[in-house]
Amino acid sequence: MPPTAPAEPASYADRSDEWLVEQCRESADEGAFAEIVRRYRTPVFRVAVSILGQGFALEAEDVAQDVMLRVHHSLRSFRGEAKLGSWIYRIAFNQALNLKARARYRAPHVGDESLAAAPTPTRDPHDQLQDERRRQAVRACIDELPEVYQSALRLHYWLGASVSDIAVMLDAPENTVKSYLHRARRLLQVMLTERGFDAR
Amino acid sequence: MHDDDVMDRILRDAMAADAPRLSPAFDARVMQRVRPRRLTPMGRVVIGVYLVAAAAAAAWLMRDLRPEWVGAALVIGAPIAAGTSAYVRRIAMTR
Repeated sequence: MPPTAPAEPASYADRSDEWLVEQCRESADEGAFAEIVRRYRTPVFRVAVSILGQGFALEAEDVAQDVMLRVHHSLRSFRGEAKLGSWIYRIAFNQALNLKARARYRAPHVGDESLAAAPTPTRDPHDQLQDERRRQAVRACIDELPEVYQSALRLHYWLGASVSDIAVMLDAPENTVKSYLHRARRLLQVMLTERGFDAR
Repeated sequence: MHDDDVMDRILRDAMAADAPRLSPAFDARVMQRVRPRRLTPMGRVVIGVYLVAAAAAAAWLMRDLRPEWVGAALVIGAPIAAGTSAYVRRIAMTR
């Protein structure tokens, strides 16, 4: 089949995922792939950072880049049985898990978020210390939860994603995501209580 | 207060950090990586000279061999070379 001509750049944003995939496969249309990157870069990054955790934004960006390169390389083998988004998010989830497994020993970067959370001079230092201890305990407990619970919690509480957004990104029904969040909160409550924090 | 609400408040407090964002150069970096790399004219000349020299050296080295051996060497060597080339290209694409 002769290659089709690349589409007008302005029209890419209005096209369906299926059309973009066909353009990439049949004519290696760079504009079509650029539109796929534009559509999915942010959710892919959010999935990656939700797995890797706070302080690993740079690594999450590397994961997002690797995912996009993998998508470009594998588009020919994408059979369209799942939605393009689900397929891309699954790649992102697995890629981030692989990196996390390889990089467990590494300490997170100290970013702006840590500086923003630094104690303010207007409050009692003892209270601030207690609050900070609890925050650290919460974050440490989250790291011990099953990966999918961690991801759901970070997407919801840190990245502000709605349950329906999380359902799309984790490729799970909304009720399942609600159940993940509920069970994660229950588990965290038990873990925090065991560590001597008041979580009731 | 309901236990779930308490944990909700604790989690919001513990994760009250700014959400990270992708760098503005992300798209450009990805597109640069997926764009096919073309050899420069100098690179083409180097590859051409190498191919001619390699073919000449192989012909000279195999000059005394019987044709069956030359054929067998080609049958074994060509797929290995093609496979290695594809493998290396695949690694380079995904890096």
